[in-house]
Amino acid sequence: MQQVAAGEIGGLETLYDRYHAAAYALALRITSETGMAEDVVQDAFLGLWRNAGRYAELKGSVRGWLLAIVRHRAIDTLRRRKTGMALGDDADAILPAALTIPDPWPEVAGRLEAEQVRRALTVLPPAQREVIELAYFDGLTQREIAARTNAPLGTVKSRMRLGLVALRAALGPSAERAAPGDAAAMRTARLAGGKGTL
Amino acid sequence: MALTCDRVRELAPGYVLGALEPAEMVAVRGHLDGCANAHQEVRELGGILPYLAIAPEPAEPPRWLRESVMAAAAADLALRRGSPRSLPLARPEPLPESTGPEPDHNVVSLADVRRARRRLPRLAWFTRVAAALAVLALAGYAVVVQADLNRAKEDQQHAQSIYNALGPGDARTISLTDEEGMGAGGLAVLRPNGHLIVSLNHLPSTHGNQIYTVWLTGGNGAQVKVGSFYVDGDGTGFLEVDNMPTSASLWISVNREPGPAVTKPTGPTILSGTISL
Repeated sequence: MQQVAAGEIGGLETLYDRYHAAAYALALRITSETGMAEDVVQDAFLGLWRNAGRYAELKGSVRGWLLAIVRHRAIDTLRRRKTGMALGDDADAILPAALTIPDPWPEVAGRLEAEQVRRALTVLPPAQREVIELAYFDGLTQREIAARTNAPLGTVKSRMRLGLVALRAALGPSAERAAPGDAAAMRTARLAGGKGTL
Repeated sequence: MALTCDRVRELAPGYVLGALEPAEMVAVRGHLDGCANAHQEVRELGGILPYLAIAPEPAEPPRWLRESVMAAAAADLALRRGSPRSLPLARPEPLPESTGPEPDHNVVSLADVRRARRRLPRLAWFTRVAAALAVLALAGYAVVVQADLNRAKEDQQHAQSIYNALGPGDARTISLTDEEGMGAGGLAVLRPNGHLIVSLNHLPSTHGNQIYTVWLTGGNGAQVKVGSFYVDGDGTGFLEVDNMPTSASLWISVNREPGPAVTKPTGPTILSGTISL
């Protein structure tokens, strides 16, 4: 990353070789269109390239930072396409909100396999998984999710909280000894949310 | 919109997923920036995002994308290095809808970079291709020039050989006759010491195993294979040999043979002539 910050293309090549597949998979999952996903990945790496100097100010893994940019850019692209707005010239200068949140488990996340994460998602109650996926991959707000799912806004908020807590319990350090989606972890998550029926 | 810490805790799930309304996002961000409390819940819930990001099924982008990304970065770098102006810092606003500061026209805008990204990669590719073609052209030209130089040196050497052969004044010289009306021509110089020079031009190119062979036939009918050579596009051939027969009358012929292994003339006679005293 220091190489990238110093303007060395070789550093960017290294990062691209390491993370391009994850970046493209995420962009494709969000946009559902290869051409758009390719643009997003290119914009994301260019954003990383241009803002590498700021990386030191942020806490977290390079992968987490890059993927946050990918997600932000992909959702931004979708939103602007829906509203007919042209892509902003300065859109990739805007740091995603997630980048302001320190990533506490970059190393743990690095060790986790994508398959483990997918398994953890599948054991979430469908309603909780749905709101998380609509928010994360479709970029919908809680209000939009409520409208989409015909659920009360309060329910959407609760499902979102419970789902995130459950995922954290399944994937986080406290759940490392348990398999992702461990029933005890899920029960803990439900209790933490106060409702076990959502 | 001023928020309490409890309200921020309520909004934390939506905040980390970017699922709040824009005004709420800005308000939470503002609270977190100024709040003395750690708001651990935001950290903890936000830690989920790296996991979600790797959840999609694996997918591989096209190979050309790598080149495209690097070309865009190189274009950006060139833009930066080519201008004393600095690049703008990324703005901290969390949402695309939020308004940022007015563009500073004294810095390179992302519009510049985007335009450069759209334009310069093409230019870069064009430049690369043009440069590669230029290199190839120069290399090809150098090869051609070198070949011409080599050929000129050879021609000079051949001419010098003929001049040397003719110098003593005792050489027999004949102009060879074009037997097939194809415009071929040539010269043969035979010295009393058996030193023979045959210089030919305007010969049709040889193909495959075809080869031109020069024969000397004495008055007694004995045939001597002087030598053979292939002819390329320049149509020239040159032989210089010693120990050739020096009888009073010799018939010289140049035949196009099907291969180099012939022991007597079999192919059509292209040029011929009689070397006599």
